[in-house]
Amino acid sequence: MTDMAIQITGLVKQYGEKTALEQLTLSVPRGEIFGLLGHNGAGKTTAVNILTTLLPPSSGTASVAGRDIQTQPAEVRRVIGYLPENVQFYDNLTLHENLMFFAQLSGVQHPAARIRVVLDIVDFPGHERERMGTFSKGMRQRAGIAQAILHEPEVLFLDEPTSGLDPQGVATLRNIIIRLNRELGVTVFMNTHLLGEVTRTCTSIGILSAGELIYQDSIAATMNSFPGQDSLEEIYLSIAAGTPS
Amino acid sequence: MSVWVATIRQETVAARRERLPQFLLVVFMAMIAASAFIGSAAKGTVTEVYQEAVREGLTSAPNPFTTISPLYYARNTVIYIILIAALLAIVIGAQSTLRDRRARTIDLVLSRDVPPVKYLAAKLAGTGLLLLFILAVAALVNIACIAVAIGSFPTPAQAARILALFGVAWLFLIPFVTLGMLNGIRCATATSGLLLPIVVWSIVIFILPLLGTAAHPVSLLNPVSKSAPAESRFFELTSALTGPLSLGEQFKSTTALILEDPQAAGTAEGGLLVILGFFIAACLALLMAGPNHMRRELHG
Amino acid sequence: MAEVGVLCRKELKDLSRSRAIAMLLVFLSAVILLSVLVAAADYRVKLAEYTAYADALKAAGGSPTPPPNLFPLQMLRAGIEYLEIVGGLFAVILGYGLVAKEKGSNTLQLLFTRPLGRHAFAGGKILATVIVWLVVVVALFAVIALAVLLAGRAQLGGQDFLRLAIAAAHTWVYFIMWSLLALTLASLTRQPASGLVLALVLWLVIVLVIPQIGDTMDPDNQIPGGFFASLQIDRTNEKALLTHFASYETGRDFVEQTSATKQYERAVFAYLGVKSQYNQMPLGAVWDATSHNSLWLLGTSVFTVAAAFLSTTRETLLRKLP
Repeated sequence: MTDMAIQITGLVKQYGEKTALEQLTLSVPRGEIFGLLGHNGAGKTTAVNILTTLLPPSSGTASVAGRDIQTQPAEVRRVIGYLPENVQFYDNLTLHENLMFFAQLSGVQHPAARIRVVLDIVDFPGHERERMGTFSKGMRQRAGIAQAILHEPEVLFLDEPTSGLDPQGVATLRNIIIRLNRELGVTVFMNTHLLGEVTRTCTSIGILSAGELIYQDSIAATMNSFPGQDSLEEIYLSIAAGTPS
Repeated sequence: MSVWVATIRQETVAARRERLPQFLLVVFMAMIAASAFIGSAAKGTVTEVYQEAVREGLTSAPNPFTTISPLYYARNTVIYIILIAALLAIVIGAQSTLRDRRARTIDLVLSRDVPPVKYLAAKLAGTGLLLLFILAVAALVNIACIAVAIGSFPTPAQAARILALFGVAWLFLIPFVTLGMLNGIRCATATSGLLLPIVVWSIVIFILPLLGTAAHPVSLLNPVSKSAPAESRFFELTSALTGPLSLGEQFKSTTALILEDPQAAGTAEGGLLVILGFFIAACLALLMAGPNHMRRELHG
Repeated sequence: MAEVGVLCRKELKDLSRSRAIAMLLVFLSAVILLSVLVAAADYRVKLAEYTAYADALKAAGGSPTPPPNLFPLQMLRAGIEYLEIVGGLFAVILGYGLVAKEKGSNTLQLLFTRPLGRHAFAGGKILATVIVWLVVVVALFAVIALAVLLAGRAQLGGQDFLRLAIAAAHTWVYFIMWSLLALTLASLTRQPASGLVLALVLWLVIVLVIPQIGDTMDPDNQIPGGFFASLQIDRTNEKALLTHFASYETGRDFVEQTSATKQYERAVFAYLGVKSQYNQMPLGAVWDATSHNSLWLLGTSVFTVAAAFLSTTRETLLRKLP
């Protein structure tokens, strides 16, 4: 088993004339909570969509948990969980029915028992029989995490997981992510804009700019490397501006 | 005045650039152009059939088509207005208000000194003008195609009647625009915003006439009016109830008189009054029921 | 293939709880019921007219012709026409919704990050469409049969039920065709709303415009009551006359045949005896006369199944992703 949860080499994604990802090379070791940062349009969501096999790359290679995304896409899908930005479900179905559906699609052996377990992990009891059309944004995010971990994935991809949540919702989600990582050993790869959250949640970061990776290091090393900057926000802005101190 | 001008201009530009109305417009114009030739083919064949019947001694009745006026060739147009232009009107109307809700531009508009009723009235005026322009072009296309089909231009009086047909069509179509606009304001999703008015249209065009006259839905697609139903208390009652609401049938009978259809009986005033009544009621309904809901969130 | 079943079950559960779909189906049932009631009332009026005429003729010493027969299935003419127009529209809405709701939310991403087979998604949707319409059509025709029995006060024999079942089978195939056409277009277009537009335009053209062109080109439809009736030409002579205009009739027929709706209508009207030339004709003879209509309808429907199967893939559905 490789030590790398994610290994990307020379990944390129082009839409006609427009290049969304330019020779992206990146590795994320197992057990990390990796935060991918970047301006709007930097290519973060494209990178996640390629790693989750939703989009094919134009060129380059990538593997997730040792499986190649192009030659072994089905194997990749068995070992990943994914929470898209603004996750939505089938509103006419209850939470339990939605989770049962996704558990069955993922080939979970004892789905009913597993649903109870994941709802306990995300601390979301008592809503199984409610239709999801009535759920708030925060409730949907928790349900989103629950569906993503139903099949015990090795790597969890989260696209802007805290987008649109209130401070309490952000804190709850942060605790769930950290718990998944520390207690269950899940590697987490997340895109986010909330740099304060990155500091509290992630163990390492990468910064994308115009489809290129311009920085990657652990949070601790990053904070140490920029002694003049008080916060990750300042560090990010100086790196993104191309003027590291 | 600037609210009116700005809104009308914005409305006409936005509607022109949307794909759905464009598709329907192409189908509508194509059918308007084709209708004269369809009528011409049918008339030519009927005349030949009659001559053959006379030759074989099968009939001594006079040819019901001896003196066909050029207006005969416009009668299919009426059906295409009921079928295609009414759908076009619904789509233009629904998109007009859905557009504001989808992009939340309604918040930007109403946070300015713009009274909601005035804004809605201006939007209706904009779509109304656009529809008027479309119908004017359709009228000219129709006249030109009739001229080609019969080999000569209709007389000024006949051309005026065709223009009058399209004028009444505008009155007939505005309630469908307002139906689309009102539903676009009140619906929960963009899909239901489009589909509900289409269901209402299918009721008005295909179901109400059945109740009043036992007319089969497909027979309503023929510009020739169905014979009056058998006399009975049942149909007297249903006809009295549903007749004035059968906007499509009212439009057909009114325009049949305008086009001097020899089979059309009665006067056009009754039908015109119904169409005008619908026009006024629909505009009032929009301006009274619409403004309070324009900022509702749109799902999906 | 297990995931096809999982997807199908989810779809059926979702649809069974959709208020909009339920309302549309109740509306369709109500409209058909209404059409049978009106047809029954219309028939009773005609019967009363006949009785009055017969009484008057007897009083004058004459002998009236026998009363018109009631063929109960003929009362379904308007109901079948509603199925082809309004039912077709609802089928478009249902098929469009099957893909649009997945595209509108981002459930597609949740689905396609799971190990699904290449055509599992399409298979689940198609299977759900087939089952939904089977259930709905059976329910609709149960309503129809009840309406004819109760509202029409008619008696139906075994043959009549068989004819109704054949009409139901045609209706099932017809609805599947429209739903899967809309599903295909919603899958192929980047914006599902564009797919709806295309499907609605096709519905308009196939259901209304083409039959309208064929209908208005019919020489007999040029004046109320019929052109030939106005010339006092009977059916036999009408047919003989029209043989001189075979190419015109062939052209008109070709126009109508391009509409799947017309194929459906011709076959169903023949089996139900709505068209008088097929009324009371044995089923085998009806099949001989209209099998091409049934087969064209079936062929079109199979084509839409194949189109939906091949077009509703990960590649087409996820094209819009950033």
